[in-house]
Amino acid sequence: MMRPRAIKVLIIAAASLAAWEAVVRLGLVSQIILAAPSAIVAAAATDGRVFLTAFATTVIEIVAAILIAWTLGIIVGVVAGSSNMLAAATAPVLSSIFAIPLIIVYPLLMAWLGIGPLSKVVFGVLSGFFPIALNTMDGVRAIERRYLVFARSIGATTLQTYARIIFPLALPSMVSGLRVGTGLVVIGVIVTEMLASLGGVGFLISYHRTLFNTGHVYFGMVLALMMAVAVNVGLTWLDRRVGRWRILERTDG
Amino acid sequence: MSTPIIEVSKLGKDFRAGHALVHALSDVSFAVTEGQFVTLVGPSGCGKSTLLQILAGLIGPTRGEVRIDGKRISAPIPEKISMVFQDPTLLPWKTALANVEFPLDLRGVARPTRRERCSALLELVGLREFAEHYPHELSGGMRQRVAIARGLAQDPRLILMDEPFAALDEQTRTRMGHDLLDIWEKTRKTVFFITHSLTEAIYLSDVVMVMSPRPGRILETIAIDFPRPRELDVIGSEAFGRVRNRIWHLIAEAEA
Amino acid sequence: MGAALAGYLTFAVVLFGGWELVGRLRLVDPDLLPPLSEVSALLWRFLQDPRFIADLGVTASEVAVAFAIAAPLAISTGFLLGERLHLAEAFNPVVHFILAIPQSIFLPVFILAFGIGFLEKVLFGITHAYFVIVVNSFAAVRSIPPPLVSAARVFGATRTQIYTRIYLPAMLPLILTGLRLGMIFCIIGVLLAEMYASRRGIGRLIFTWGESYQVPELLAGILLISVLTVAVNETMRLAELRVSRFYTRTAAA
Repeated sequence: MMRPRAIKVLIIAAASLAAWEAVVRLGLVSQIILAAPSAIVAAAATDGRVFLTAFATTVIEIVAAILIAWTLGIIVGVVAGSSNMLAAATAPVLSSIFAIPLIIVYPLLMAWLGIGPLSKVVFGVLSGFFPIALNTMDGVRAIERRYLVFARSIGATTLQTYARIIFPLALPSMVSGLRVGTGLVVIGVIVTEMLASLGGVGFLISYHRTLFNTGHVYFGMVLALMMAVAVNVGLTWLDRRVGRWRILERTDG
Repeated sequence: MSTPIIEVSKLGKDFRAGHALVHALSDVSFAVTEGQFVTLVGPSGCGKSTLLQILAGLIGPTRGEVRIDGKRISAPIPEKISMVFQDPTLLPWKTALANVEFPLDLRGVARPTRRERCSALLELVGLREFAEHYPHELSGGMRQRVAIARGLAQDPRLILMDEPFAALDEQTRTRMGHDLLDIWEKTRKTVFFITHSLTEAIYLSDVVMVMSPRPGRILETIAIDFPRPRELDVIGSEAFGRVRNRIWHLIAEAEA
Repeated sequence: MGAALAGYLTFAVVLFGGWELVGRLRLVDPDLLPPLSEVSALLWRFLQDPRFIADLGVTASEVAVAFAIAAPLAISTGFLLGERLHLAEAFNPVVHFILAIPQSIFLPVFILAFGIGFLEKVLFGITHAYFVIVVNSFAAVRSIPPPLVSAARVFGATRTQIYTRIYLPAMLPLILTGLRLGMIFCIIGVLLAEMYASRRGIGRLIFTWGESYQVPELLAGILLISVLTVAVNETMRLAELRVSRFYTRTAAA
């Protein structure tokens, strides 16, 4: 037996879907602009396989970009954060660069790397790198000296100090950066697929737009949103698990 | 007559602060016999903490020599020397037990051995039921106990304590001092203790060394003969008051 | 402060110096990376070409109009939500949901609905800027310390006086931050829309160059946009700093 709240949500969802279908069927909104739920399902039914392949392509690009962005961002962040001078010098530069609309660089990647998955992955990495590096750097810088003195006093090696003390202490900040950065990776990959690509979900969305296949366009968007939401949910979970420490840190002895 | 565990001769330490040279310590000499409880008192800024850091091997002397167990010290020796700071500096994501185990963990000591030894240490400091608690669930005094247990984990011969109870309220502080003596009686480590509080110094120690304001040097070394184990009411005794007065005047004159 | 300057200088020297060096020494295929001097010369010629300036003007006007519409709308929304907390509770999940999902994904739908003209790009820019400014304005309203208001009441301040002399200076820093972020997002939105489907504007120009492998032109365009956006960002950030410093000084008084 489901909880009353869940039932309430389901009813609202079902009613919304029905209203949505009605609005389009009745011609209140042009079916070129808004696809009815039935049209979306139809698109899925007819071209499901094509979309699945595209979905796989996009997922692979996203995963690759995430792995690289995380690694690069965290390493640069830790290294830059470890030296006070280095951090003070790089932080302002990095956050100024953050203001540049990264999308403007994509055509350059197109010219250099073509419009295959590689340019998408590189763009994704660029998108995610800055927030990850900046937040990691902040997290490392904020570590109080007493932890480092403690590490030395118990004879911890440099590796042990980084892995067992610095990394865990910087983790909450790091995860904030991972949240923002990973979201940007997903957007970056999908948007560049929409702009110019050989495959992927973004490509299909654009392709069907030119054919006015609104049902297909919306189906593609649903898939894209699913990916964005999945990443968001995953990282929120990570944030929550690690987030306990933010409270702990403040009250720690 | 065995080698004193700490031998300091003509120790001097200078720091560079901007363009100026700061003389933190000058011509400090003393020796500590193994098993003693020695306290260093002195006014703020006199260089007590600096001296402790040199004894710990965290920083090096500018002049003079420091020998721990007969050998010159140039880096921390965690198997022989451990430190307890004013801030317990526990790792917030680890339980009390895990915190006590941490130094052994880094050394690669096997889990069953670690667990047994550290559980016993937690028992020693009176925190057996709190082994699985996290630092944020413990009071300041309890956290400091965990830090002390952690300091004993590697079975050091010398424990350096830098004003460990300064951040605690008066009641807790007194109790902690009493319990520390208890632990010391049971383990008979050498303790080198730093504090502002003359009362604390006299109550706890065999020997009190009084330091002058900067540049710090030892004004006088006073042996404390009150019988052990020390009860808290010795603090109110006349003899105690006399010693306290003497030290107080020593410092006041030196500050003038 | 000195470190930041050193950072910027080092970065500029490494980036621009390196670029020129690599280009001159032909370490990389000069078709892929022409030297900085060549690119800047090209950019200089562009800046004297009326058609280029016209395109730049199109983009600038789209951004300006979008921002001019979004900013007051968003600030008022933020104020309204800040004052009427019950409304805020209803809107909060919506706003946060929208901020969480990548708005850029809706670009194809936008185009289906509004075509590829000036209007559509402005609208896209508005949606990008709107939500970020709302969130910051809301935070600005909530950030006013109650003691400040009570003190004013005690001194018999009128409603208007409370708004202008107390609320406004207190909220200005956060509002300015929101405006700065809104501007960045607006620029991103407009450029993306231009790149995706447009006939005019600097975004379209850059995308076309990317498609036809015209690398020197690409680099010139990217250089220009980077400099412009960083300049706008830093100017707005300077204003933020001035205002918040002024405020803390007066608040302390």
